[in-house]
Amino acid sequence: MKVLAALGAVLAILTGSAHAQSHPLTIYAAASLTDVFRAFDPDQRYSFSGSNALETQIRNGAPADIFASAAPLNTQRLFRQNLVGKPVTFTSNRLALIVPKSNPAGIRSVYDLRRKPVKLVIAGAAVPVGGYTRTVLRKMGLSSVLSKVVSQETDVRAVTGKVALGQADAGFVYVTDARAVADRVTVIRIPAWAQPRVRYEIAVVSSSSKKAAAQAWIKTLLSARGQAALKEYGFLPVPGA
Amino acid sequence: MDRRRFLTGALGAGAVTLGAPWLATAGAATEDDLAFANFGASTELLVRDFYAKAIDARLVGAQTTSALKHGRSAAGWHAKAQSDLLTSAGDVAPLPEDFDFEWPLRTFKTKAAMMAAGLAVLRALRGVYQTAAAMASEQSYRVLYASLAASVSQQIVALGGAAAAEPFPVALDIENASDAIERYLG
Repeated sequence: MKVLAALGAVLAILTGSAHAQSHPLTIYAAASLTDVFRAFDPDQRYSFSGSNALETQIRNGAPADIFASAAPLNTQRLFRQNLVGKPVTFTSNRLALIVPKSNPAGIRSVYDLRRKPVKLVIAGAAVPVGGYTRTVLRKMGLSSVLSKVVSQETDVRAVTGKVALGQADAGFVYVTDARAVADRVTVIRIPAWAQPRVRYEIAVVSSSSKKAAAQAWIKTLLSARGQAALKEYGFLPVPGA
Repeated sequence: MDRRRFLTGALGAGAVTLGAPWLATAGAATEDDLAFANFGASTELLVRDFYAKAIDARLVGAQTTSALKHGRSAAGWHAKAQSDLLTSAGDVAPLPEDFDFEWPLRTFKTKAAMMAAGLAVLRALRGVYQTAAAMASEQSYRVLYASLAASVSQQIVALGGAAAAEPFPVALDIENASDAIERYLG
C-alpha cells in the first residue's frame, strides 16, 4: 500500500512537472526571490523586479498568475482593490550593509557611514528594500547619511550589483542578496534592534485563468519543502508561525 | 530593611511613577531621541526575556527571585514607556516577536553565568540611558532617561550583590552598547 502511495506521489510530481512545462504559471516576484524561486521550481515563467514595479504592472493588467512581494504594502493595496486574492505571509528577511571586498572607504560599521566620506547606493523609496533601508537609518538616528547616496536603484539586485562591481562604497541589501555575491562583498551586520519588519506576501492574481494551479503552487511554497528551499537561500521563517 | 531588600522593593519604580510627560512632546522628538527609544525599548524586551528565563531557572533564593520578578516588571514598564514615545512620534515600536533572543547555551545553568549575562546587558543599557539623560533634546525625555538609568542601576546592584564590586557607571553611545548586546538579540 505504501509502495502504491509512493508511486502515486512520484507520478503526481512527474505529471505536475510536465503540466507546468506545457502550461507554466506566470509568477511576478520580488527581485530578492530570483535565485530561490528559480531553484525551487524552474518550470514556471518568472518576472522579477521591484515589488512596486510589479504591483503597477498587475494594476495595469499584466498577465500574472501569482504575485510575491517583498513588502505587505504592495500586495495589500492590490487586495483592497480586488486585484489579488487574500495575501499570505510566506517568509521574512533581514537587511545588511555590504561593501566591496576591497572596501576602499574603510567601512567597518554602519555608523562609519556617518563618519566617513562614502558613495552610498540604495534602492528608491518606493521599492521595499529602499523603504526598509530608510527605516533602518531612522531607527539608528542615521538618516543624515542619505545625503551620501549617489544612486537610487529600482530593485535590490541593482544595488547588490553596483557594490559588487565596486561602483559604490556601500549599499543596503537583504542578507539573502549579500549571500549571492559573498565572494565579492563583505557583509556588515545591522543590529537586531534596528532591523525593520521584512515580511514577504504572496497572492493569486484575480485575473488569472489558472487560479487552482496558482493556489496549489502557493500551497507548495508554504509546505515544508517550500520553507526548506527558502531557508537554504537564507530566508527566515515567519515570526510566530 | 537591609540594602538588598530596599533595592528589590524599589526596582519597579522609576518611569512608572512619573506619569508620561514625554508623550506630550513626542512630535518634537529628534531622530537621535527616537534612536535612544528604539534601542531602549528593544533592549528592555531582551531584559524582560532574561528575567523570565532567570525566574524559570530557579537558581537563586526567594529574595533574589523577588528581585528578578521586580526587574521583569520594571523592564516591561520601561519598554512600554519608550514604545509609547515611539508610537506617539509616528514610529513603529519593537515587539518581542521581532527578535530571536539567543542566550549562550549555559547562561541559565549556573547562577554565576546567569548573573553575568544579565549584568552585561543591563550595564550596556544603563550606559545608553546615561547618555540619553544628558543628550536628549527635550527636558521630559532627559527626566525619563535619568529615571530609567536609576532604575537599571538598582537592578544592577540587586543582581550584582555588593555595590562596591560594581564598576563605576560609564555613559555609552548606542554603537558601543549595541555591540555589547547584539549576541543576545539573535
